[in-house]
Amino acid sequence: MTEFDTDRGSLNAGLAIAGLLAGSVLLLAAGRAPANGHRNGRAAALPPRRSSRKRPTVVAARRLNRAAGVLAASVLADSSVEHYRGSFKNKAMYTPLIVSASTLATSLHGTADARPAAHWFRDATYLTAAVSGLIGTGFHIYNVGKKVGGFSWQNFFYGAPIGAPMAILLSGLLGFCSERVRESRKGTRPEIFQLPAGRTMAAVIGAGLLGTSGEAGLLHFRGAFHNPFMLLPVTLPPLGAALLGRAALAGPGQQHRATRWWMRVLAAMGFAGVGLHAYGVSRNMGGWRNWSQNILNGPPLPAPPSFAGLALAGLAALELMEDHPDA
Amino acid sequence: MHDRGRPEPRYPGYDVLTKRQGPSWNEQTRRVVSQRLAVPAEPRFFTPDEFRTVASVAARIVPQPDGRPPVPVAALIDEKLFRGASDGYRPEGMPREREAWRQGLQALDAEAKAAYGAAFHAIGAARQDGLLARMQSGDMTSPAWGRMSPQDFFKRRMARDVVLAYYAHPTAWSEIGWGGPASPRGYVRLDFDERDPWEAAEAGSGDAVEVRRINRHVG
Amino acid sequence: MSDNPQHTPRARRGRAPDVFRPGGWVPMREYGEDETVDFAIVGTGAGGGTLACKLAEYGFSVVAFDAGPYFRPLEDFASDESEQTKLYWTDDRIVDGANPLQLGSNNSGKAVGGSTVHFAMVSLRFRPEWFKSRSLLGYGADWPLDWREMWNYYREVEQALKIAGPVNYPWGPPRPRYPYRAHPLNAAARVLAKGCEALGIGWTETPLATLSAPRGLAHPCVYRGFCVAGCSTNAKQSALVTWIPRALAAGAEIRDLAMVGRVEVDAAGRATGVHFHRDGTWHFQRARHVVVAGYAIETPRLLLNSTNGQFPDGLANSSGLVGENLMAQSNQAVWGLMDQEIRSYKGPPSLAITEHWNYEDKGKDFFGGYSYMSQGPLPQLWANTQMAARGLWGARLMSDMQNYNHVAGLKIVGEMLPQENNRVTLADEVDQFGLRIPRVTYSWCDNDKRLIAHALKFMTQALEEADARDIWTQEDDTCHLNGTARMGSDPARSVVNADCRSWDIPNLWICDGSVFPTVGGANPSLTIQAIACRTADRIRDLAGRGELDQPARRRYAAQTAQ
Ligand SMILES: Cc1cc2nc3c(=O)[nH]c(=O)nc-3n(C[C@H](O)[C@H](O)[C@H](O)COP(=O)(O)OP(=O)(O)OC[C@H]3O[C@@H](n4cnc5c(N)ncnc54)[C@H](O)[C@@H]3O)c2cc1C
Ligand code: SF4
Repeated sequence: MTEFDTDRGSLNAGLAIAGLLAGSVLLLAAGRAPANGHRNGRAAALPPRRSSRKRPTVVAARRLNRAAGVLAASVLADSSVEHYRGSFKNKAMYTPLIVSASTLATSLHGTADARPAAHWFRDATYLTAAVSGLIGTGFHIYNVGKKVGGFSWQNFFYGAPIGAPMAILLSGLLGFCSERVRESRKGTRPEIFQLPAGRTMAAVIGAGLLGTSGEAGLLHFRGAFHNPFMLLPVTLPPLGAALLGRAALAGPGQQHRATRWWMRVLAAMGFAGVGLHAYGVSRNMGGWRNWSQNILNGPPLPAPPSFAGLALAGLAALELMEDHPDA
Repeated sequence: MHDRGRPEPRYPGYDVLTKRQGPSWNEQTRRVVSQRLAVPAEPRFFTPDEFRTVASVAARIVPQPDGRPPVPVAALIDEKLFRGASDGYRPEGMPREREAWRQGLQALDAEAKAAYGAAFHAIGAARQDGLLARMQSGDMTSPAWGRMSPQDFFKRRMARDVVLAYYAHPTAWSEIGWGGPASPRGYVRLDFDERDPWEAAEAGSGDAVEVRRINRHVG
Repeated sequence: MSDNPQHTPRARRGRAPDVFRPGGWVPMREYGEDETVDFAIVGTGAGGGTLACKLAEYGFSVVAFDAGPYFRPLEDFASDESEQTKLYWTDDRIVDGANPLQLGSNNSGKAVGGSTVHFAMVSLRFRPEWFKSRSLLGYGADWPLDWREMWNYYREVEQALKIAGPVNYPWGPPRPRYPYRAHPLNAAARVLAKGCEALGIGWTETPLATLSAPRGLAHPCVYRGFCVAGCSTNAKQSALVTWIPRALAAGAEIRDLAMVGRVEVDAAGRATGVHFHRDGTWHFQRARHVVVAGYAIETPRLLLNSTNGQFPDGLANSSGLVGENLMAQSNQAVWGLMDQEIRSYKGPPSLAITEHWNYEDKGKDFFGGYSYMSQGPLPQLWANTQMAARGLWGARLMSDMQNYNHVAGLKIVGEMLPQENNRVTLADEVDQFGLRIPRVTYSWCDNDKRLIAHALKFMTQALEEADARDIWTQEDDTCHLNGTARMGSDPARSVVNADCRSWDIPNLWICDGSVFPTVGGANPSLTIQAIACRTADRIRDLAGRGELDQPARRRYAAQTAQ
């Protein structure tokens, strides 16, 4: 068991994954309130709630916080593992850990907060997350390009994953949207940059699903789709994106029931993906006993929940559209 | 070619055996390496005289630093010949492994006596090196060689067996910073200047204390 | 370990080792010695293992013999160079000629699965023109095969082995996508890539017979780098873990630790079976057809050792060519030191390749081609290379070995031309079974030397461009043996026909690397397996038409009369 004592990095990676699970559980727990509209003020650490009435914009905002949090948790765990694999060669590689951790904390805060007002701190964190996602993408592109072979399959497969930082960008965007929805005044159309909030978000989330699906597609192609389940994240999410796109373009007063169901399917797929990836890890040499290699070389455990994060956001957007047909 | 003193090791503090109980070693590897580490000190194939000559040849071909237990090169060669292991081929004129060694050692002593009036083990390092260099270039004519060419014996038998014996030993693996046995766990970080936590760190790749700390804890 | 596979046969009593489970077994059909089986196959490597599988799947009764043990890699293979010499053919052999070959670890395997158990997994197709190198390129000999047909068989083998290769292969006519994606490059491979990019030639990830994703019970590669010492991960798609399990499932019997000493031929000039040594005594297995697939040394040795009154020069040898035209491939290298840490022991040894000089004919002062690949020698091999090829020993050797983790190397697989004087004959000495041992004679011709000089010069430049320093060249090394029973379309100038059937004895076949008329500059195993697949198809077709017992010569006569 020497590796337990010495291999601190692996331990960190393990902790990050535990953090992912804990984070998701917390988010779901914290988010239960808006989901069924009842709360009892047990959680003392959470911000005080002034409004106890169920206001659709606040419910939607909290759901969005929750979705942003799931994404952030996924990024936190994923970037910990991946950048640990990269030996934190560059100090900037700590950035996504710090940013996603604070985004996760902020999202927890937002999920638990029932006030109908944006919080400057949440806004700042979400914007930082979005910006760092953009910068991270730039870094990753630069890193792939400078490897010998340049922009080749080899470097896309095994170099810095171009799509990964997008997840924190999406988390930041969702959080930012959440704040806009939350602060929209009663009786007015919830808006983001003067666009109808629900539809705008549906479009953004749809694009996010496509991008994430592309990333999964690249990596599952690398794995030669050796297991038929590997086809799921390249088929189900694009369909979801199409449905969201249709919802974004549709006129007011529509139910979007199929779309909502599809989002639930995607969320389930995202969480089930962790299980499938865990199975994938076990199929590598030495299985879980050889975890210090297989967590890094096997399929990434924390990656699939990013689908769940997006799907949850999609649900929030759809429900907002239902409550505010013009949103 | 003279003995090395004790230069700063390239992988300070690294001992590949630290990894022995970890996931980089499997049961079958632990078994064969344990057997090797327990090689009998006394010869079972060579005569004591031959054994002494082998040891002095090995000391010239793979000179070892002081300050650590030496790799028992002669004993490892003896074990291999005792077992009857074979390369699976030999040049024309060269007998099979065991006879080749016997004949070659005899010829080497004959050459040493002809040149310096004493057996190989007794003539001192510089002269030993001189004789080995002559063998390597084929500049030897003692009839004791028979049909075997001295060059072939050097390159394909004697120095080969010495080098293979030395680099079969964990001490040598540690010295050159090799990761050592690797199954079930292999490696993850493959690119330039990349090192898994279960690989040795090179002196100069970080501050000296940190490098030692890493190397003491590879697992 | 449940038993010692090197001393006691494992495949018996209706079961054979399950290579995917420590201590596990799979059922195996068994045939009595008096039962006349359709095919007795000698050797279970790239040629014999593949053929055994295909023939059994086509419904023939098959017994395949191997002189070597039946390993379960997961439990039998240690991560240790010395221990793993147990995979090699180390029975006595004599080498001579101007450039005596290095055999043993460097060449033949002795195990169920043959040399593919310790091969380096490089899985290349031949350049199409090589199948007609005499007519199209002006050297060597033409093969009686068409490259387009071979292209289909290559595909079959690539699928069967789940070759992990690049998404697009830069050379030659289009090929279907490799079933698995290429592996990540290690630093040693990136040094090759840097050199190629600087010199403006193409490079790619080497197509390898090792898994980049799970497959059934086989794990993907863990980049442990012990490939030529045997893969204890089962990632390596050797015959042992691919064709052989399929063969068993289809009803073939494998006999391990069974050395075939003689092929019996009756007065009518037909093979009747094989004499083999197992459990300390000689046995005889009756068979309708005998296939020899023992690799380019043991195949001619067995044919030459099987003389009788009717065939005093050995079986299938009316052309006098059995044992002749032995071709190694040149395997010279250039080594240098990099400032960065390379640690080339990680990953399969040859992750990157350039076949530029296989496909480019301009700028050559020699016939043939070569590819070159990145390298990853383990400590014993590397130390011995420093000693034998560079002449280092003493303090120089010890201090140079300290640079182990900074070494990068490029090594060719180069075409050597067929020459009748390069050959396998029998020495007077005998082995542990009382069988005469082979004498392997090899000398490079001028063309070989020119190719080597070209390659060393080019690779030196490539290493310089990749910023290596202290560059030196390793000039004496060869690999991969082929030839010695070449196929052809003329009985006077070849040993077997395109179907690998001997011209002289209608039910004697040869199906391994021995049948190559030329070798090209690409590693041979994929081609050997493709030929075996083709041979199996031909046998099935001939049998279907009732022509399996019609001698090859009669059909040749019919063809030439037209
Ligand atoms: C270190 C090394 C690396 C290599 N790397 C590559 C590579 O990367 N790519 C590539 O394409 N090729 C590679 N090769 C070459 C490749 O392995 C061989 O070309 C190929 O396996 C030959 O196939 P074969 O069927 O002719 O013989 P083998 O695969 O050698 O099979 C012959 C079998 O026959 C058995 N046999 C022989 N005689 C008898 C007998 N009388 N009775 C019973 N059994 C007998 C032997 O035990 C052996 O198992 C490599 C070889 C070596 C040694
Ligand atoms: S590097 Fe891959 S193929 Fe080679 S021995 Fe290791 S696991 Fe097997």
